[in-house]
Amino acid sequence: MSESTSIAREEPATSHQRRGQLWSRLVARKELGVFLALVVMCVFLSLATSNFLSSLNLLNVGRQVSLLGIMAVGMTFVLISGEIDLSVGSTYALSGLSSGMLIVMGWGLLPAVAAGLVIGVCIGLVNGVLSTYGRLPSLIATLGMMSIVRGVALLMTGGQPVTVNTRNGAIPEVLDRFEFMGQGYLFGIVPMQLVFFIVIAVIGWLLLSGTAFGFRVFAVGGSAKAARVSGINAERVKLWSFVIMGVLAALAGILSMAFLPSGQAGRTGLGLELDVIAAVVVGGASLSGGVGTVLGTVLGVLIIGVLRNGLVLLGVSPFTQEVMIGLVIIIAVAIDKWSTRSRSA
Amino acid sequence: MLNKLKTLAGAGLLCMAPVIASADPVNVSDFQLAPRIAEKVASGKPLNIMVSYHDVSNEFAPFVKQGVEKADKELNVDARFIGPVGADADGQISEIETLLGDMDGLAISAVSTDALSPLINRVIEAGIPVISYNTDNPDSKRLVFAGQDLVQSGRDAGEQMAKVLDGKGRVMITTIDAAAQWSLDREKGVREALDKVEGIEVVRTLNTGTDPQEIYAAIENAMLSDPGITGILSLECCSTPAAGEWVKRNGQAGKVKVVGFDLLDQTVDLVADDVIQVTIDQAPARQGFEAVNLLVEFLNGKTIDDLDTGVGIYTPENIKEAM
Repeated sequence: MSESTSIAREEPATSHQRRGQLWSRLVARKELGVFLALVVMCVFLSLATSNFLSSLNLLNVGRQVSLLGIMAVGMTFVLISGEIDLSVGSTYALSGLSSGMLIVMGWGLLPAVAAGLVIGVCIGLVNGVLSTYGRLPSLIATLGMMSIVRGVALLMTGGQPVTVNTRNGAIPEVLDRFEFMGQGYLFGIVPMQLVFFIVIAVIGWLLLSGTAFGFRVFAVGGSAKAARVSGINAERVKLWSFVIMGVLAALAGILSMAFLPSGQAGRTGLGLELDVIAAVVVGGASLSGGVGTVLGTVLGVLIIGVLRNGLVLLGVSPFTQEVMIGLVIIIAVAIDKWSTRSRSA
Repeated sequence: MLNKLKTLAGAGLLCMAPVIASADPVNVSDFQLAPRIAEKVASGKPLNIMVSYHDVSNEFAPFVKQGVEKADKELNVDARFIGPVGADADGQISEIETLLGDMDGLAISAVSTDALSPLINRVIEAGIPVISYNTDNPDSKRLVFAGQDLVQSGRDAGEQMAKVLDGKGRVMITTIDAAAQWSLDREKGVREALDKVEGIEVVRTLNTGTDPQEIYAAIENAMLSDPGITGILSLECCSTPAAGEWVKRNGQAGKVKVVGFDLLDQTVDLVADDVIQVTIDQAPARQGFEAVNLLVEFLNGKTIDDLDTGVGIYTPENIKEAM
């Protein structure tokens, strides 16, 4: 009797403690600030517009952020490792246009997509080698590559748009499967681009938070010297981060080509690198390395996507949109920094 | 956020000029021609004509270049197509400055009317004839302008939209850069034409950005926010096929009418399928050819004047001509 009474008395306290622990863990999460910013935006938009919460619109937002998101997962690795990659918009263009051109030339789907991805891997390797063994600051190395890769895309296409259709030479069955990659829906509901984004985000999250490689990415970004002392090959870790970035930029470019299905070397992905970096930084990653999460990046990408979608739904003038987007980026990052400071205080 | 950058980098934005500026007809006898050029003209040697385009990486550059190359062959001159990659005013200025000693005539489609005008004046003062084409610099000392009357082309597009809508509907205007002068001019023309039609309301101007994915997403969001839109009028090359694709993929062909500009591959296919009802061509190859031709005529003593290179209106009935 006395035992059962004592147990009964302890139970509420334990559950209260658990709730307290859960709350503390939630508050301690790095992503809390950016998550709150996203929630505030969503609540506002659902009250201010009749369409924001419709399933069609939410799936649209999901699809619209997918390519940015896929690239942002790659950029998370690069930024955490203490580097930066400015060539991603050009890689996106060159890979997508290459795969598109190969399909127009009559290639099969797999070889054409593989060729586009290999281009991404090669660009990542060059970026990585220049920034590590070549001892160039990645800002400069990838700035140079941004121009080289864009130039190659322009030379390859002669500045002409590339449109993937049967009239230009694509095999009908190949075109159907290519278009399914970019325009199709899984189970008739979920846009394929979103499926790719979710899969990439999950793999990125597992890789970063659950493997020795992920630990090393944080270690070299926090302090490359300390990481070397602990026996980590910092150059190799950074090199792999650039390769991951390159292949994901290529994948996004190929999916973009499959969606539209047209691109132009002077315009496709132009300035995209800054969108990608902004999304990752809004998600809590630090430009000085060592800090960031894939979950935060996904939230950052969603903030950018929801904002763009919401401003159009609200009918805000195009010039005001520019101001609003800049403000939200600053506010989202500020909330994150302030909440981090208050948690650590 | 990045539209400022993207605007500078430019896409298919052909023109930034307001209307064809009313320059007076001009003859070489009224011009202080550099002695080296006068000697060259007298000797009958091929003239070096430079045709500077504001962004040699955009969709139109290859067509303008074709026109320049045609002039090079047919007019017995050394015509050279130059310009920056990405709409970079500094790049365009530096290149022209570097080539100044070699050029016998300059045709320019400027990145920025304000930034390039002083350079145009300097080239003129050096005794080298300069005309503007495609994009005008009306405040500079350039001799004449060859290109499309942008406000008029906007009016043409508006009238075509009124026609395909049978004078009744809600129209959204789309543009890849709402702040650019060429866009404002075309928009002005469109609104002038549509304001005259009582049954048509222009509901908004949508700024889509220049990246193809961005353009499609912006149109998708806007159409969801206002399902009552029955007409999309694109002011340029690049939101035209995106509007057509959205209409096609959402089963709105025929219900939402599309009027746009230019003859990109995708646009031509969508017009042939009657998804896009009208597209207006600006004849970029003709602009490139006429740019050279006007300078050659001027140097050879012929009086030249502004030239409207006109519009071509394509519908499903005549689109085969462009295929």
